[in-house]
Amino acid sequence: MTEAPALDAPRSASFFARSLAGLGRGLMNGRAYFLGFFSLFFVWHVVAVYVVASVLFPPPYAVLLRGIELLQDGTLEENIGASLQRIVIGFIAGSVIGVPIGLVIGSFPLARKFLEPWTESLRFIPSVAMITIAVIWFGIGEPSKVFLIIYTTIFIVILNTAAGVGAISPNKIRAAQALGASARQIFFLVAFPATVPYILTGMRIAMANSFTTIVAAELVAANTGLGVMLWQGRMFMQINDIFVALVSLCILGFAADRLFRFGVARFAGRYDVTP
Amino acid sequence: MALITLTNVGKSFRSREGRSWVAVADFNLALDDGEFYCLLGPSGCGKSTVLGMLAGFSSPTSGRMELSGKPITGASRDRGVVFQGDDSLYPWLTALENVEFGLRLRGMKRTERRERALQYLDLVGLRGQEAKHPTELSGGMKQRVQIARALANEPRILLMDEPFGALDAQTRGTMQAELRRIWERMKVTVVFITHDIDEAIVLGTRVGVMTAGPGGTLKENLPVDIAGERTRADPRYIALYEKVHALVRAEVQRASARNAA
Repeated sequence: MTEAPALDAPRSASFFARSLAGLGRGLMNGRAYFLGFFSLFFVWHVVAVYVVASVLFPPPYAVLLRGIELLQDGTLEENIGASLQRIVIGFIAGSVIGVPIGLVIGSFPLARKFLEPWTESLRFIPSVAMITIAVIWFGIGEPSKVFLIIYTTIFIVILNTAAGVGAISPNKIRAAQALGASARQIFFLVAFPATVPYILTGMRIAMANSFTTIVAAELVAANTGLGVMLWQGRMFMQINDIFVALVSLCILGFAADRLFRFGVARFAGRYDVTP
Repeated sequence: MALITLTNVGKSFRSREGRSWVAVADFNLALDDGEFYCLLGPSGCGKSTVLGMLAGFSSPTSGRMELSGKPITGASRDRGVVFQGDDSLYPWLTALENVEFGLRLRGMKRTERRERALQYLDLVGLRGQEAKHPTELSGGMKQRVQIARALANEPRILLMDEPFGALDAQTRGTMQAELRRIWERMKVTVVFITHDIDEAIVLGTRVGVMTAGPGGTLKENLPVDIAGERTRADPRYIALYEKVHALVRAEVQRASARNAA
């Protein structure tokens, strides 16, 4: 009873000090972050109220009030939900199709030669340019939006995955061979995990593109969604509604990107160089 | 019978213009069980090519290579490899998971392979570091993980391709002493590639000197008959160093004369 705490004391003290230092750093970072956001809204407020001083540029609190109103009558949730659902379905489908294609292109030179004409020509058609044909083919309902999100996701994911496979150092493969790995084991236990950071990075870029595409597609043809909100805001001169939609896009994009960065860091970024 | 025999082994490559050039020619060597063989030579002599062929990463274009009388075809877990760089480690796995990787490949049970991997981490002096990822380890520690990973698989022979070449002088000295200790304990056969004469004499039971490339071959084998701790003040060390140094210098001069011509 007299010995044990004495032995434990230095260890727990250093542990405590380290936790405290970590907490301090976290708080400092958090505060800088908070200040950054605060300055964003502050500048917006000053510009809107004192510089522009027009009904065409509402200040933050007016937008917030309108946002709460739209939340209460349920239209904001409906529109955000519609956009988000299209993004999530298209994005997951595009990634699920894109990753295996990228792995094949990266692994087999013959497959690369055969598939590159497809990827290297189609990827230069912006998904926005595909909106008209998507509406003609699939109508103004969900299928055309999902098609467009898949289109905007798939090429970036393919390209990054293939690049990731190409970036695996030969010694990683050789080490596995010398340890007795079969071709199958090399693929699943070495090549694939080594490519994960590249795949996640590709998906992160694709996610940002999905936001661009979904808004453009909804502007052209849709019944619900943030793009529709923007369009109707223009039609009926509801400036506050437009700003609510814009701020919603900011928040959604920020959250989605954070989620991916967290994923990259958790599964790969800490363990490997992220391109 | 020798553990490994290389008979008239040669390796030539074809360049993109279609010209072929010879990396290794007429290489003959017999290695006994338990030897620590250091292969020494000027850069570009083809010593890493020899190791690559022994590992099975590439096959010779002429001659024969045998392990216990059976021809060597492709990589196999009876020949463990330690690479110069740390890019052969798996950054998504911890030190422990890297070491048990070979055991996992052959389907050993988790608790069993954990225990074995911990033993080998202990052997290379990495106890307490098992939960760290390679990026959190120093250069010397990463090479220790590589050595543990290769040894945990219990290979017949350990092939080391300038494993300490990228380390600072201080760490290299420590790692040499550690490797010597591990070898004395495990009695595993080692083929160690280096261009450092001192390293070869401090570590090896036999030093092979290669001629300058292209078309490098084995020039001479010299036994290192210094038992126990090896010090650089030992007259036997100095005598051997001079002898090997003269051999290597002659090769470097021959190479530069040929390049000048």
